[in-house]
Amino acid sequence: MDQFNDELNDLFASYKASLPDVEASANFMPELWRRIEGRQSILLRIKRLTQVFLAAAAAISIVFVSLLSVPAFTRPDGSGSYIEVLADAYPTETLASHGILPREATEANTK
Amino acid sequence: MLVDFEQIQKAKAGDDAAFNQVVTAYRKRILGTIARLIGRPEDVEDVAQEVFLRLYYSLDQLRTPEVFEPWLYRLTVNASYDYLRKQRRRNESRMSDLSEQQVMMADAAAGGKASGEDHRRKQVKELVESLLGAVSEQDRILLTLKEVEGLSLKELEKIYSVNENALKVRLFRARQRVLNAFEATRVTTNKPAGRKD
Repeated sequence: MDQFNDELNDLFASYKASLPDVEASANFMPELWRRIEGRQSILLRIKRLTQVFLAAAAAISIVFVSLLSVPAFTRPDGSGSYIEVLADAYPTETLASHGILPREATEANTK
Repeated sequence: MLVDFEQIQKAKAGDDAAFNQVVTAYRKRILGTIARLIGRPEDVEDVAQEVFLRLYYSLDQLRTPEVFEPWLYRLTVNASYDYLRKQRRRNESRMSDLSEQQVMMADAAAGGKASGEDHRRKQVKELVESLLGAVSEQDRILLTLKEVEGLSLKELEKIYSVNENALKVRLFRARQRVLNAFEATRVTTNKPAGRKD
């Protein structure tokens, strides 16, 4: 086994010596920079798309928030107080006809 | 280190000229390593460009310039491994011819008819590559880095980020498999009656 071990070591050493040095072609650096720039433009495109998407999402959110908040600020028409509005909505005659108020009160009001 | 720490720091800060210098300094070594790892000369440059491309985009993650070399080796190993994984199907089909190839190598060696230095080199190359085919791609890469590239266990430990003992075990097993394949080849070579046909 030791013999094979030594032979294998020699074989690896011969293998290393047998491999020629690899020289880069003249096109190596230009091609590398072309690939770097190509990747950069893809990343830039993804970044821009993300920004556009985020801006659109923010705009849509603002529109929804304003749509939801508008009804909360609207007030019912009318310039009177709560009591006056209530009195308008339920005239004395109606309340008397339902027996809520006595008839005399209605008549006194009409006089 | 083939470049100053300062160059690496500059490249890390986005200095393209410094990055060019780093690539120029390490290009030859990386090309050689890749050639030995993937065994396909026509694709070496392509894989090397992938390594430097990854380097360019991950240089900002490098904590200290001191770990630059193991880190570059790790990028090289990963890119080579990715390449080999892509080529796996093709490799598998080549593996089916392996035993025949081994026998041919052994026959040629037994005949002792080396016809020149180039022929001998070619034989050694083919024999070692076929022997390394006895182990997985990962172990083949590990074994090549240790036995052919001559990296120490400490260096491999940094590249693989595993402890030395785990590496030793893995290397021992891989080497045993290669050794068994080598032994089988030698036995075939030394058969006294010789092979017919």
